[in-house]
Amino acid sequence: MAGIKELRLRIKSVGNIKQITRAMEMVSTTKLRRFQDRAIASRPYADEIAGLVGRLAGELGEDLNDRPLFQQGKGEKVLCLVVSSDRGLCGAYNTNVFRKLEAWKAEQTEEVEFFTIGKKAEAYLKTNGHVNKRDIIDPPLEQMDYRSAAVVAGMLVKAFESGEYKSVWILGTDFVSMARYVPRATQFLPIEAGALGAGDEKVGGDVILEPSAGEIFDALVPRYLETQIYNMTLESLTSEYASRRFAMKNATEAANDMQALLKGMYNRKRQEGITTELLDIVGGAAAVAS
Amino acid sequence: MANSITLRVITPDTVALDTTVDSVVLPGIDGKLGVLSGHATMVTALDIGELRYNSGGSEASMFVAGGFAEIRDNTLRVVTEAGEDALTIDETRAKHAQERAQQRIDEGDEEIDLVRAKAAMRRAAARITISSLRGHR
Repeated sequence: MAGIKELRLRIKSVGNIKQITRAMEMVSTTKLRRFQDRAIASRPYADEIAGLVGRLAGELGEDLNDRPLFQQGKGEKVLCLVVSSDRGLCGAYNTNVFRKLEAWKAEQTEEVEFFTIGKKAEAYLKTNGHVNKRDIIDPPLEQMDYRSAAVVAGMLVKAFESGEYKSVWILGTDFVSMARYVPRATQFLPIEAGALGAGDEKVGGDVILEPSAGEIFDALVPRYLETQIYNMTLESLTSEYASRRFAMKNATEAANDMQALLKGMYNRKRQEGITTELLDIVGGAAAVAS
Repeated sequence: MANSITLRVITPDTVALDTTVDSVVLPGIDGKLGVLSGHATMVTALDIGELRYNSGGSEASMFVAGGFAEIRDNTLRVVTEAGEDALTIDETRAKHAQERAQQRIDEGDEEIDLVRAKAAMRRAAARITISSLRGHR
């Protein structure tokens, strides 16, 4: 049985941990809100680009399939960009990403290679013997803005155009709600015409297209791919912080419970001490009196 | 207003502008392009440059970093990577960006970097021009 002094120390250390987890919970809440706001703010642009791509794709019709980014690559391998977090203490966030990674990999018949964003993914690939071709660390995920997302998209397009890969995938986490974040693997390249909503809605009637539908389309497609990467990084970040906040909230609550338990033990111990002392005094007094 | 159009400038980070105007001049890829109410449906690519719009007799101007414009149903939507009101352009920053870009061009590394440096250069130059024009009006 732990002594009264040890109990006091433990209560104190649990209190310290609680302070830290509570602070991390609050930081996560702020960051979560920030990334969520950014994700929401990025939506009109992405929607607009996707809408234009879809309408122009409808306009182009069969010509679409002649474009290199719409055709399966000549390569034998499959490339996948994985987004994880840089830091731990975010609950099951990374574990879920890696579980999805394994499940996705198991479905592939080709050899698989990876690009990574986030230190955790890099470490995971290394320990599990996956091929990590490129580790994107500059800028760190949390500082990723649209322009850097565009650079990442450019890297993937370049890798695809090199002819080394058959297709390129991206694996990130979808932010569904505060309590639900689902890792998802999506095919990035070649672009599937069906996914563009082509043909659903044409530009319609007499439309002036400057310079031409094809040229506008070819300029639009890189933007479209960029928005996909940007959106995925923001959703993943939002999920990461939602997950971290949840984990830290649980930790704070667990620390509370533990503190209450230890306090109970401590009080009982202290009472026991007093009772023993009292008994001693009473016994001593009785002995003197008799 | 019957003769007005809705102008929306949409960037990846925000909706930079959402207003009703009388007329707009766009930096089209093949030259400047005026848009008035009742314009035919159109999709066009934009160049890096100045977007001017007129509402109620007062004119305002904006920097746009390329992108696209779509006109339909009297709504003009400009989708661009960056759109800044002429009055909020940070000229010092643009000048620094211009110097940096120039440096990169002079060093001349990989080809892909050159393309990006040149684009950065043009953006910076356009920002400076637009900003200084505003100052003299």
